[in-house]
Amino acid sequence: MRKVEAAPNPLRHFLLTLVVIGAIHQSALWPSVQAILNTFLVLALAPEFRSPLVGAFWAAMAGWILEGTLRAYPHLGGTAFANLNMALLAAWTLSLWPPLTRKVALTRFAVLALIHGLLIHAFVRVACGPHPWGWAWLWPILTAPLWGWIGFKLHRPTHRR
Amino acid sequence: MRARPWGWNPTGRRRWGILALWLGHAGWLLLGHGGSGRWQNALDLLSRPSQAISLKWQAWRHQRSLNLRNYETAVAEVQQLRARTEQLQMAAIAEAQSRGEAEGAMRLLELKKLVPLETRGARVVANLRHAPYGGLVLDQGEDAGLVPDQGVIVPEGVVGRIWSVSAQQASVLPLDAYNASTAVMLARSRATGVLQGVGPGKAEIRYIDRQEVVQVGEPVYTSGLDRVFPRGLLVGYVTAVRVRELELGLEVALAARFDRLHLVLLLPPKPPMQVQPPAGGRP
Repeated sequence: MRKVEAAPNPLRHFLLTLVVIGAIHQSALWPSVQAILNTFLVLALAPEFRSPLVGAFWAAMAGWILEGTLRAYPHLGGTAFANLNMALLAAWTLSLWPPLTRKVALTRFAVLALIHGLLIHAFVRVACGPHPWGWAWLWPILTAPLWGWIGFKLHRPTHRR
Repeated sequence: MRARPWGWNPTGRRRWGILALWLGHAGWLLLGHGGSGRWQNALDLLSRPSQAISLKWQAWRHQRSLNLRNYETAVAEVQQLRARTEQLQMAAIAEAQSRGEAEGAMRLLELKKLVPLETRGARVVANLRHAPYGGLVLDQGEDAGLVPDQGVIVPEGVVGRIWSVSAQQASVLPLDAYNASTAVMLARSRATGVLQGVGPGKAEIRYIDRQEVVQVGEPVYTSGLDRVFPRGLLVGYVTAVRVRELELGLEVALAARFDRLHLVLLLPPKPPMQVQPPAGGRP
């Protein structure tokens, strides 16, 4: 008889999100790492919360912390708003099309990471005008298989966990 | 149950919360351009640990790059020094012969000052002592006014006498040759005898009365009686004393090192039997 695993523990999920928030804050000196952690939190951790409001709150918090520690923009809020929208979008796609295979999940994560990067730059441009892009946006896409694997473990339908 | 107005149930409240969050952010983004200094300062305060780690990391990398640079510089310097040392060693090898000759010439000049005679220097161009009827060949001959029976000496002692002279070369009969005879005297008893060569670096004194008291290690000087060498030039040291039927058999180790002769000093023909050495030393 196949063993059916329990649903993810909300407390463990909360603690994991808290750790990632702390890691985003402490990795401010390495923007590429910070971008990867931020994308992981927005696309993999935040949509898994039972309440979309809580997930959106965590995603926005990650954006505020990232911009606050980055000290790259004169006016903050663009990343937080992009995170908020992406978390809602990711939660919506999850509810509509739950990922059944790892390949589908990783592809979706990569596409969402690309959209996330573009959205961040768009809202940051709205907030504080033209700014340099750099290469930090590329790292979340390149490392999508890495953090996406954890996301797939979280987002798989319960009967496949 | 009556539906609550404005969807004020748990699901509705969640939606209102999301809407409020979204509108707040959008409003902040589009309308508000307030300062964020306090927020950034608070985050800076919390990020002190990572800053400290980063500083240490940067310092370590800087130190490592310095060490690497120093190491590369040291390696380059060592290679330069090694190449320079090899050059100097090659130059030293090339100059060793000249230096040795110069040192020999200086010692010969010192000897020339000590011998109050009209002497002249010569170079040994061939050492044929071990060949039958061999000897030393000098680079001067009749062209330099050399004649047979001129004494040949070096700073260590007496070498021999000129045996034959050709146009540009002269051969020397060393003291250790079997047919060489030299008038000598013992340092303590002043007993005179004749030194005859018996082999490489060795000779024997003949005609010393058996009543004479001779000690091993006693110096042997020229006596001047053969009119080839003046009196008092060091010949060698007694190494063995044997009492024979009619005389003492004295073996002598010659002082001059015949295998290493390069520059020699030639005494004038028929020098005086006794010369007065200048103040400060004796030959």
